[in-house]
Amino acid sequence: MLLNVENLHVHYGRIAALRGISLNVAEGEIVCIVGPNGAGKSTTLLSISSVLSPTEGEISFDGKSIIGTPPEQVATLGISQVPEGRHIFTSLTVDENLQVGAATRNDKDRVRQDYERVLDMFPILAERRRQSAGKLSGGEQQMLAIARSLMTNPRFLTIDEPSLGLAPRIVDQVYEVLVDLRKSRGLTLLLVEQSSERALKAADRLYVLRSGEIQLEGKTADLQDGKAVHEAYFGFTHQHDEDEVEF
Amino acid sequence: MAFTLQVIIDALSLGSFYAVAALGIGLLFGVLKLINFAHGDFITIGAYALIVPSAAAQATLYIGDFHPLMLIPSIIGIVVVIALISEFTVFRPLRNASPATLMIGSFALGFILQNLVIMIYGGRPKAVGLWSDLNLGIQLAEGVQVPQLQLIIIGTTLALMLLLVLFLTRTKYGIYMRAAAEDFRMARMLGIKANRVIMLAVAISGMLAAAVSMLFVTQTGILDFRMGIPLMLFAFIATVIGGMGSLVGAVVGGFAVGAVSILLQTFLPSELRVFRDVFVFAIVIVILLARPQGLLVSRAAKERV
Repeated sequence: MLLNVENLHVHYGRIAALRGISLNVAEGEIVCIVGPNGAGKSTTLLSISSVLSPTEGEISFDGKSIIGTPPEQVATLGISQVPEGRHIFTSLTVDENLQVGAATRNDKDRVRQDYERVLDMFPILAERRRQSAGKLSGGEQQMLAIARSLMTNPRFLTIDEPSLGLAPRIVDQVYEVLVDLRKSRGLTLLLVEQSSERALKAADRLYVLRSGEIQLEGKTADLQDGKAVHEAYFGFTHQHDEDEVEF
Repeated sequence: MAFTLQVIIDALSLGSFYAVAALGIGLLFGVLKLINFAHGDFITIGAYALIVPSAAAQATLYIGDFHPLMLIPSIIGIVVVIALISEFTVFRPLRNASPATLMIGSFALGFILQNLVIMIYGGRPKAVGLWSDLNLGIQLAEGVQVPQLQLIIIGTTLALMLLLVLFLTRTKYGIYMRAAAEDFRMARMLGIKANRVIMLAVAISGMLAAAVSMLFVTQTGILDFRMGIPLMLFAFIATVIGGMGSLVGAVVGGFAVGAVSILLQTFLPSELRVFRDVFVFAIVIVILLARPQGLLVSRAAKERV
């Protein structure tokens, strides 16, 4: 396993955000964590990037524990994250954002290649290279955030809600790129989404997280009818009544 | 005409001190969210470093007697070292504390530095002549005679600002520093080394403080353990009215405070002139009531959809 999370507990003050979750991601896999608001999805990703320190549990990457490693060092191991809210540097230009992404790298020629590759991948960014990133639209900012993460030359990329706030057409585009990245670079992906539909389409495996605990895990191929996922997600059995509330 | 020119040059040269000091404060605020109240004391130390350490009433120049090519790097070096020691002993251990705690830490550091100066050099002000020839006037136009120093102060400030802009926009570390100032956590998640960026900001802040030290002592000719405090105070006000977190704002604020001070100095009736600072602060309050976010706000990181 490339990433192994074992019995992870994280607290904000005295409030438990994660209560002993375990999950793993194999090299080359696309794994998705779905769950309602406040389930602990972002907390999980931030712990993997070592931005948050768990109170208990183990996270290992490529067989080595990363607990207590500063986030900048975790980045050099090949773990990159597109966090919730994208966090692009709005006062920097698009080019400068990408340059910050390559901060840890010394392989100039490869950086140049990667730079050209991400601009190929997102042509709109190429057009706006010298513009302030704050002037980009939401979709463009999402693309920039992903492109910037790719500039770190990651082995393992985590993305917090790639589809949040984006038009469906843009979401399709983003997912296309992500699936393509696995094919072309063998990139391993851990995605977080609120909607399970999208995740079932793109991912190999799925974890359902609710109230800081894993409720369900499985191959997406086995979960396609969505009933088990729905139950794990909401915590009650879905009934096909006449007066059913649409979610 | 001559009078107007004179006032403009006075305003620009006083504003220069505030602008450079405000830049030093603004840089650290950017990456550390620290309002460094010890910045004024860095300036004081840079000034005292010119003389032989002794409590004697008469100051004897030591580094202050060096050739400028040796003098300037020496003073910069000393202030940068003091700033870095402050980073290691005070700011770094408090890194994860709240901004208020950090600020109080910087107050404490300031008091310690002031008292160190008193212990080593004594508490009484001392006269010191650094580059005194520069205070000689030069003729700019008919009837306009300004001390050469004022032009040097303005020129140095412009040069420092230009260098800082080039550093921040054209160099790798400058770009990292801007990224870290906007979103430190994200910068770290991309592999930017937090300690390195902060140390660099602290060092540059120290350099700017040293520049103010030398220019200020040349102008006033007096060493006093409290000499940095009013500079720090006005520079802090400059960063606040300029808009906390914006370096351009810090510069604009610095020149604005300088200009207001000189205008009041020039046009207030003489019996009110002693209360000049009261008027300056009153104007600051009015500005903040009208624009609480400062004159120039750093481009807000609005979330886009």
